[in-house]
Formats: sequence, structure tokens, C-alpha cells
Amino acid sequence: MARGSNENEGGWKKFIWDSEKKAFLGRTGSSWFKIFLFYLIFYGCLAGIFIGTIQALLLTISSYRPTYQDRVAPPGLTHTPKTIKTEISFTLNSEGSYKAFIESIDNFLKQYDDDKQTDKMKFEDCKDQPSGYIERGQYDNSAGEKKACTFNRRWLGNCSGLDDPSYGYSSGKPCFIVKLNRILGYKPEPPKNNETIPLEAQDRVQPNVIPIHCAAKREEEVSKIGQINYYGMGGLGGFPLQYYPYYGKLLQPQYLQPLVAIQFTNLTLDIDLRIECKAYGENINYSDKDRFQGRFDVKFQLKSR
Amino acid sequence: MGKKGDQYEVFVEMGRDTNGEMDAKIKKKKKVKKKEMLEGMKKEMEIDDHELTIEELEMKYSTSTTKGMSSTLAAQVLERDGANELKPPKGTPEYVKFARQLAGGLQCLMWVAAVICFIAFGIQFAQEDLTSYDNLYLAITLIAVVVVTGCFGYYQEFKSTNIIASFKNLVPQKATVFRDGQKSQINANQLVVGDLVEIKGGDRVPADVRIITAQGCKVDNSSLTGESEPQSKGPECTHENPLETRNIAFFSTTCLEGIATGIIINTGDRTIIGRIASLASGVGNEKTPIAIEIEHFVDIIAGLAIFFGATFFVVAMVIGYQFLKAMIFFMAIVVAYVPEGLLATVTVCLSLTAKRLAKKNCVVKNLEAVETLGSTSVICSDKTGTLTQNRMTVSHLWFDNHIHSADTTEDQSGQSFDQSSETWRALGRVAGLCNRAVFKPGQEEIPIPKREVIGDASETALLKFTELTIGNVIDYRGRFKKICEVPFNSTNKFQLSIHELEDPLDLRYLLVMKGAPERILERCSTIMIKGQELPLDEQWKEAFQTAYMDLGSLGERVLGFCHIFMNEKEYPRGYNFDTDEMNFPTSGLCFAGLISMIDPPRATVPDAVMKCRTAGIRVIMVTGDHPITAKAIAANVGIISEGSETVEDIATRLRIPVEQVNRGDARACVINGGQLKDMTSDELDDALRAHPEMVFARTSPQQKLIIVESCQRLGSIVAVTGDGVNDSPALKKADIGIAMGIAGSDAAKNAADMILLDDNFASIVTGVEQGRLIFDNLKKSIAYTLTKNIPELTPYLIYITVSVPLPLGCITILFIELATDIFPSVSLAYEKAESDIMHLKPRNPKRDRLVNEALAVYSYFQIGAIQSFAGFTDYFTAMAQEGWLPLLCVGLRSQWENPHNQEVQDSYGQEWTYSQRLYQEYTCYTVFFVSIEICQISDVLIRKTRRLSVFQQGFFRNKVLVTAIVFQLLLGNFLCYCPGMPNIFNFMPIRVQWWFVPVPFGILIFVYDEIRKLGVRRHPGSWWDKELYY
Repeated sequence: MARGSNENEGGWKKFIWDSEKKAFLGRTGSSWFKIFLFYLIFYGCLAGIFIGTIQALLLTISSYRPTYQDRVAPPGLTHTPKTIKTEISFTLNSEGSYKAFIESIDNFLKQYDDDKQTDKMKFEDCKDQPSGYIERGQYDNSAGEKKACTFNRRWLGNCSGLDDPSYGYSSGKPCFIVKLNRILGYKPEPPKNNETIPLEAQDRVQPNVIPIHCAAKREEEVSKIGQINYYGMGGLGGFPLQYYPYYGKLLQPQYLQPLVAIQFTNLTLDIDLRIECKAYGENINYSDKDRFQGRFDVKFQLKSR
Repeated sequence: MGKKGDQYEVFVEMGRDTNGEMDAKIKKKKKVKKKEMLEGMKKEMEIDDHELTIEELEMKYSTSTTKGMSSTLAAQVLERDGANELKPPKGTPEYVKFARQLAGGLQCLMWVAAVICFIAFGIQFAQEDLTSYDNLYLAITLIAVVVVTGCFGYYQEFKSTNIIASFKNLVPQKATVFRDGQKSQINANQLVVGDLVEIKGGDRVPADVRIITAQGCKVDNSSLTGESEPQSKGPECTHENPLETRNIAFFSTTCLEGIATGIIINTGDRTIIGRIASLASGVGNEKTPIAIEIEHFVDIIAGLAIFFGATFFVVAMVIGYQFLKAMIFFMAIVVAYVPEGLLATVTVCLSLTAKRLAKKNCVVKNLEAVETLGSTSVICSDKTGTLTQNRMTVSHLWFDNHIHSADTTEDQSGQSFDQSSETWRALGRVAGLCNRAVFKPGQEEIPIPKREVIGDASETALLKFTELTIGNVIDYRGRFKKICEVPFNSTNKFQLSIHELEDPLDLRYLLVMKGAPERILERCSTIMIKGQELPLDEQWKEAFQTAYMDLGSLGERVLGFCHIFMNEKEYPRGYNFDTDEMNFPTSGLCFAGLISMIDPPRATVPDAVMKCRTAGIRVIMVTGDHPITAKAIAANVGIISEGSETVEDIATRLRIPVEQVNRGDARACVINGGQLKDMTSDELDDALRAHPEMVFARTSPQQKLIIVESCQRLGSIVAVTGDGVNDSPALKKADIGIAMGIAGSDAAKNAADMILLDDNFASIVTGVEQGRLIFDNLKKSIAYTLTKNIPELTPYLIYITVSVPLPLGCITILFIELATDIFPSVSLAYEKAESDIMHLKPRNPKRDRLVNEALAVYSYFQIGAIQSFAGFTDYFTAMAQEGWLPLLCVGLRSQWENPHNQEVQDSYGQEWTYSQRLYQEYTCYTVFFVSIEICQISDVLIRKTRRLSVFQQGFFRNKVLVTAIVFQLLLGNFLCYCPGMPNIFNFMPIRVQWWFVPVPFGILIFVYDEIRKLGVRRHPGSWWDKELYY
């Protein structure tokens, strides 16, 4: 620009503080005050409207039952110990390599200790054989808190940690605790026919149980996985239905999900083994995008040294 | 700047000096520019061909003045010298132009953002920590955005360059050349040095030519020197300076009449005009006001983006995020804050207007010039062809002691005069017969005023006039067989011819004569009044003088007409009329009347000038014509308004000497080139300040530059029209140069920003109107575009500081910026003006900015804030209804984003896997996106007006805008509900009610803005108006 380029020089200082007009950043004190007041009122009103709408929104939302569950259902299938990059890798006889796994399971199973389930006001004994859903009324606090079924840790057998505090890790027979993610009001339905279920899992298919089955992901590894033991209520590898439906954090704060323990008793050493576990049910789906929906896979590596 | 200034100085001097010294000045200019070129240049400039004898010439160029060159030699020379054409000024190479499109301020920021994305992706990839390809997608999208907008801008530029290129190839010029003794027509660009060419009246001189033979050859040098008087050319060397001598005709000048042959001494860029043209291209272009505005604004935006990004980078680092994470935040803030779609919007808006203008005969070369036109405060206009029809036309007749007005309109729609008088028949007969002009053949279909004629300007005017009033003149002339004639020459100052009469029984001869009125009157002894021949006494002579003065003061060219019927006894049939001896009566004739001619103003011009006046634009006439003619036309079209007087007028009225007149009383002022030469620039500034109505007459094109500079010193934005080669410096210097499409030379078109296809001044005014409209509408578009940057930015700020799950992703932001919001922001360009923009003063480029503080503050901190609240309301609604109550969201970020945690508990104790959370996050993106869309619909409605209520402007008047809103909604729905979107572009099909959550906020925006406008309208000048009117 050929013209007017020199006029701005030195203008900056004057813009920041104009001693003539007593103006800071181009505004005098009273001007700043007015604009400040304006924005105070403006944002005050906006914030009021915002808080008002959020309050109104919260009024429409029940504390006991979420408005929609389409994003959270069908449930995910998750396991303990937690893994980073779904990989469980440890060395036989090296306690340090699997200590973290044991601690993780210990922590998780602590809430299933018998002494935590003694309060008869909160827990009821739901027998030790799978049975149907237990409905506990409306999803509101009209009847106060709901009871939850007890879950006996001993049902997890060798993986309960009661007999073998290392959950089999020290002997190269690692255990896995599997649970179905909690979904409020969700009633998993056992598979109606056996066609989709692998042959080896057929014996676990019973009414009132959501069976679980683990298998090698790759064909060639099938023989290398060896024997898999399943522990759960009634000795079955599955989730019994009497624990469902879940009534939510407010009504069932003490709720215990049914667990299934999986023990790999004869894993081949020193190779990567991809194992996929699946829960089977009419309303349990799998998704390509969500690798934890109704199933999970985990990579085992047992190192001999 | 210093160097540029020097160059201008040279041009100024060039204008002031006589043209004879031009070559020296050109050398001087080159010295300033490139010293090492000096030697070569000097050699080039030394033309001595005009001093050589014909034999020496033949030797020098191995040619022959009778046979021309041999074809083989000509081919060799053509090979050596190249084609005889002006090379277009060396443009920037195409790849540089393209690269420039990719390297603007915003583009650079986007490159940085893309690189950060790539780095982030690379690091994640290397760490095998890849949870999604988002960063890669984002990088690719960003690059695509930069490249696509770059291509778009480049295409626009390319297209406008092509328009210019198309002008050049419109008519391939032909030249008559002698080669191998054969006369032939070839394309003028095939000519070479040494060729023997023939030039006839009407031809353009095809190269610099040394004249060998000439018969009555006259050349119009105006395109070269600005002299409007034709100059005769002949074989003799009359001056040692090649520019002054008569025996060289220059490239691109036109031969008006006569015939000449000559030898070409320079071709193409080596011609004088070629050198001037190449010098003109060295004059730097002024940046357009809108370019300055946009640059200014982009700088601020880029600065703010970096500032925000850096601040939050530091904040993130302090809070304890990883470096990589903090870099991604930085990148995201840049993406959110930069209005990616803005440049495209501006370009599209401008090109829409350019297209609209092209329909109205203004071709805009440089898109930004559209807006410049709107801020124009001074138009320096040519007279001939721009304000006038560029056609001498009979305007007045004096016969029967009465001045009659002829119809001068372009389409003959005006009133004609009473043609029943016997005197008119006599006058018409003289005008028709004593005329050598003829129509070019094959023009029967064309209306008479537009037909092409062979002959000079006044004869052409008379021919057309008689054709219109009497009928077929050629046929008429055939009935009066011409016996002999004496053509016009400057000593006689008359032209006469002798004819047989129409009636074969009447054996008298008729002598008809026309010429300078006083000379004609001298030769008359009688005057025809109402068909009667009366003796020409003092009373009639006085009447004649009065009429002559009256017509002269109108700036018209006046011719007198007389005739005599020769006695058949003295001059029987077969009498040998000798035009040298003049053996026939040339005095004692009968005076028939006066006819005056003028180049009349175009019909649309007075209105257009009036419009300029109401629009606060000064129109200054700059012409090479005579001051009286210039003043008359200026008064005629309203440049000098009714009742305005010049200093001279006041002096005459008050009968006092010119020096005693108070200069301040004179609104108008006519300055001629001679006076201008003696004025200092301060005096010129003073004159321009003192007199609102200015006419510059007898100016050379170079003096235009001085006038332009003076206007610019006074702070005006100046539009200049021009057509000649020497106008190009002024065209370049002007804020907007306007070249004439018909009369303009290529050099002028190259230098100009805009081309008027019809050479009509009224088109400029249309342009001004469109320019002002687009400035207003661009303001609206930009306000609309800027608003959404805040609701795009705040999610990130809240995300970083409060650690809620991310409400709005980068890719979604790009969709808002580049897909859904583009059409509505462009549609604002179709908005009608709020008020009569042609009744406002031109904007002050220093005060009335495109993007001012009020606009930014209002868009960002008020409307943008409301939009943000709308987005967050909708976000929290979607989260809460899916199980995540607002308070739980706070601080949730690290759990939420941990890809290895498959059991994050929501407010109800439900456990979510990572993917489930991710899809919930995408739902939030979509919901936030929808909120912005809904608010933007409200935003585009409020942006329709800045002051008026939308109800006053009309909701549905702008059909394009309505279509744009529908389109926006459809596109939004498509993005939400098209299968496959979640995994490609992170859009989720959302619940219907989430579309309606932001609606109350949209209504709030609308109502709030109506209140704002109401306050602005009701209380102009109040605090409210000052703070909230943008």
C-alpha cells in the first residue's frame, strides 16, 4: 500500500494507553465499566438460561433408570486381570512377572468375600443352582433399596484364590475371571437353539444360564491350548439368570455380578496364543467395531524362562 | 517503496516533458531499474532510419522499395526476430501462482496443523498405540482443504486471465505487404523488419514504419503520445528525433486517411510502443482495498488462533498432559478457530458479483476489484467514447434565422425538427451532395447511426444525418450527377462540388459548398429564408454571428453551407470546369444555413453521473479535447451541474477581470493541459479541493497519472478509465483501472483491473452499486462465518480445562466449516441492499472496515456465546439421557478416553466398553454439530440485515438463502442418518428430540438480534448503536 502506511506507527502505544483521553485499549474507564456491566448482565442472563435448561433437563431424567440404553446395550464381556493391549505374558516360576495379575484378581474378588455378603437386609441367598430372573419391582425408590443375590466365591473353584492364592499362575495354569458388564434392567436370554454354539460348549448349555466358551482364535492353535476349565455357580461355565435384572447404583449399590472363572491348564509354552471368549445369548451381540461386546480376546504367552 | 516512487517520478516527468524527449526518459527509467541493461537498451533506442536515404535503407535491410523483400529472406528474419506482436507482460509462472494460493496466512496455519496431525499419527503408530485413524484422516482432510481452496482460487485467477487473453485473439490483424514483387495480405504478426508495407486510411500501422511514399496520409498518434490532432506523414525527414519526424509511423497508431508505403524498421516488442508497454508493466500494482481488509483480518485471526493455541498448549502442559497430547490440543484449537471456509466464501461471493457485472458489460479481471469499485470516491473518466457516443453527430442546424435541434440519441428516439421549410431542402441538398463520405458496403441491416463509413468525422456525421432525413443518399447523389469537386484543404477551408440537376430538363449546374462558416459567409451575397433568396445585409450577418457564437459556445463544430444555380447560358452542358483555375463562381453565392456537430453524450450518462453525485462520488472529466467542447459536454452530462460556474464564467457575468473573482465561489473548474503542466502538485491538490466539479481538457494521457496521484493524496479511492497505451501507468496507479473494451489497447487492458465491454460510463456506476452491495453482503457473510468459530472453540476449552468427554471433534468442525455452512454464507451475497446504497457516501477506507471491532465482538462474544450454550445444553442432554449426568462428566476425561478400560461406570452403575463410549462421544459430536446448524439457521436469518428488521427485509425474498437453509438441513440430515457415517466421519444417527433442544436458543438469537436492531434504529448515535452496530 503506497498510502497511509506511516500513520499507524506509534499508534500502538497510544492504543494501549491514551493519556489524552485516559483510555486503556481504546476505551475510557467509564466505557470499560459500561461494557463490563453489559457483558455481566448478558452472560448472567445466558448462564441463568443455561442452568435453567439443564435443571429442567434433569427434572425429566429419572435417577433410577436411564432414559435410553441404546449405546450401552448389548453388554460388553470383560475380564480380570486387566491387560494392556489385551496381552497376558508371564514367565513360569518368576513371581515378579505375574504378581500384578494376582493383585488385580485379588482386588477384584475382594468384594465377593463372604464377610461382605452377610447383611441380610441387602443380600439374599439365591440358591446355588441357576434359576430364572428375579424381578424386584419398579425402578424407583417406592420400595426402598433392593436386595441382591449373594455370590459365593468358592464357586470359582481352583480360581477362587481360596485354595491357590496365585490363581494358578505359579503353576502355569492361569485363571481368568469373566463378567458381563452391568446394564440396568438388562435380562440376558439364554440361547434358544444350540446351532450357534460350538460343540465343546454344548454341555454347558442349560436353561437359566448364559454359557461362556473360550477357544483359540486361529485354527492352528486349537491343539496348543489344551484343557480349559470353567468354574461358576453350580460348576457351570456360565452366568445364572437369577442375578438379573440389575436395578442400578441407587437401588442395588451392593449388587454383585455373577462371575465365571476360566482356567487354562495346559497352555503350550513359549508361543503366542490368541484366545477368544464369547458369551452366548439371544440378546448378546458381537460387533466388528467393538471387540469387547459379548466377547473378548486375549493373547497368552507363557514363557518357560 | 522508495524504488517504486522513483519509477513513478519518471512517468510523471515523462508526461510533463514533450514527447520528443521520451526516448531519453525511457533510458533514464531503465537506469533506475537495471543498470546492467543500460548499454543494450541504449543501442536499441538509437533509431536513425529516418535520416537514411532510401538507398541506404534498402542496403541496410536488404530489401527493395519497389518489390519488397524476398519471401525466403523474410522467413529467415522472422525466424530471427520472432513474430511481430507485443508479448504479454511476463506473468508469474503458473506454478508460482499456484504455490501462492497454497501459502496464505491461514493456509500456513493449516499446514502446521496437518503436520502436527501427521506427527501425532506417526508417534501413535510407532508406539503401536493406535486406537483410531482420526489424526491421519484429519491431516489428509486439512491438506485437502488447503489444496482444494487453492485450486479454486487458482481457477478463478486463471479464468479471469483467460478473459483477457480472449480479447487479443478476437481479430487477427491483416497487413498489405509486398514480397517478391507481389502484393498480398498476410497476418500482421508475420511481418518482419525490411518488409515493404502499404497503409491505407482505416488501417492500424502494423509496425514501426519508415515512410517511402505517401499521399495525404494522416495518422492518429493519440495512443502513443496522447495528441488527438491527426498528424500527416510523408517521406521527408523533418526532425532528427525519430518521434518528431514525419517519415516514421508508429506501431498501433491508426492511419486516418490517405495512403502510404513504407519499410518496416522495428517489429513486436522492439517498437516504440512495445517498449512503453513493457515499461508500464513494471509499474507495481496497488493492492485492492478488499485485499488489504482481508489480509488485515486474516492476520488477526491467525494471530488469535496461534495465541489461543499456545495458551492452551501451555495450560495443558501445566495441567500435566503429555507433550504430544498438548500438541494435538494446539492443532485442534487452530482447526476450530480458523474459519476454513471463509476464503472460499469471499471468493465465491466476489465471483458471483463479477459474473453479475459481466452480464452488465463489466468484465472484472481481478476479483477483488469488484469491491474496490464500491469504495470508489472519485472517477476520472475519459470523455470520448465513455461519456460520449464517440460518433460525430449533427446536433443543431441554423436556417430560417432559427436554431433547430437535431436528434442526437443513439437509437433515434428523440424529437426531430420541422423539415417542411424550403430552406431545409436546400440545406439538406448541399449537405448530401457536398460530401465524399460513403457507407461501407453490406450494412443494410444495421441501423444507420451504427453503420461504418469511409470518410472523416464531420462528413460521416453529415452523411448519416442526410441518410436519416432525406433518405438514400447514395441514390440521391446519383440523381445529381457530380461533374467535379474541390476537396477540403486548410488554405481554402471549404469544399465544393458541381452537379447536374435531378430534372433532366433543367440544364443549369448546381454548385454546392461547405466549409468554415465565416469563410462561407464571405462568399455569399444572398441568404435563403423560408425558400426566398434575400440579400445578405448587416442584419442577417448579425443574426448569423449570433447563431455561430451560440453554437460555438456549445462546444460544437460548426460548418456553413451555401449553393448557387449556375446560369445555363454562361455554363452550358459540357462546360469544362477546371478546379485549379476555378473557372466558375465561388462568390456571390446563396447562404443556406449552418449545421453544427458534436460527439453527443450517451443517453444513459447524465443519469449515471447524477447517480454518482447522490452516491457521493466525484466525477472528473479528463480529456484530450478542446476546453470548450469538454466543458459543454461536462455541462451536458451533469459533471458540471446546472448553476455551477467556473472562475471565467463569474468574471464574464460580473464583468470583472478573472483575477478579482473569489475562487471559492466557483464550483466548477476547467483546467487545460498547458495550465496543468505549470502547476505544482500542491496547487493541483488545492484546485481539486476548492472545486468540486473539475474538467481537465487538452491533457495528455501521462497527465492523467498526475491527476490520479493528486486525488489519492487527498485520500480518495480513484477509478480511472483509459484506453491508450500511455494510460497504462495511470490505470495501474489507480485503485481501480478501467479499460475500454472496444477502444482500449491491449496494453491498457493488461494494466486495468476491469474492462468495460461497451465503453459506457453508466456501466461503471452499475459496478459501483454492485461493489457497495457486495461490501455490505461480505460483511454479513463474514459475520455469519465468524460466529460459529466460538461454538467450535469452546468445546475444546471446556474439554481441556474441565475434562469432560470431548463434545465436538475436529472432523465435525471441518464439516461445518466446509460443507454445511458454505452455501448459506454464500447465499448472503444475494441479499438485497437494506437501504438505497447509492444515496450514501462512499465508505472511508480507514474508518469503515470490512471487519470492525463491533462485528467481531458481537459475533464472537454474543451470538457465538449463545450458540456455545446451545451446543452444551444439547451435549449435556444427550449425555444425561444416555446415562451420564452432567456432574459425572466433569473430570471424566481420563477414564473415558482410556482404550483399555472396558468397564467405565455411568451415573446408573452401568459399565461401558471403550467403543460404546466412543460412539457416545460421536453422538455428542453430532448433537453439538446439529446445535450449531440450528443456531446458524437463526444466524443466517439475522445476518440478512444489519439495521432493518428482518420482517422489513422480507423473510423469503432471498430465494437463494431459503434454498441454502433447506440444503443445510438436508445435508445435516444426510450426514447424521446416512449408513456408514459413524465409522467414516464420526457422525451418529441421533434422536429426533436432540434436533429441537437448540431451537429455543435459535429463537433467542433471533429475538435478541431484533432487539439489537430495534435499539440501533430507534436510538442512532446512542451507546447501544455504537457498541452493537457493526
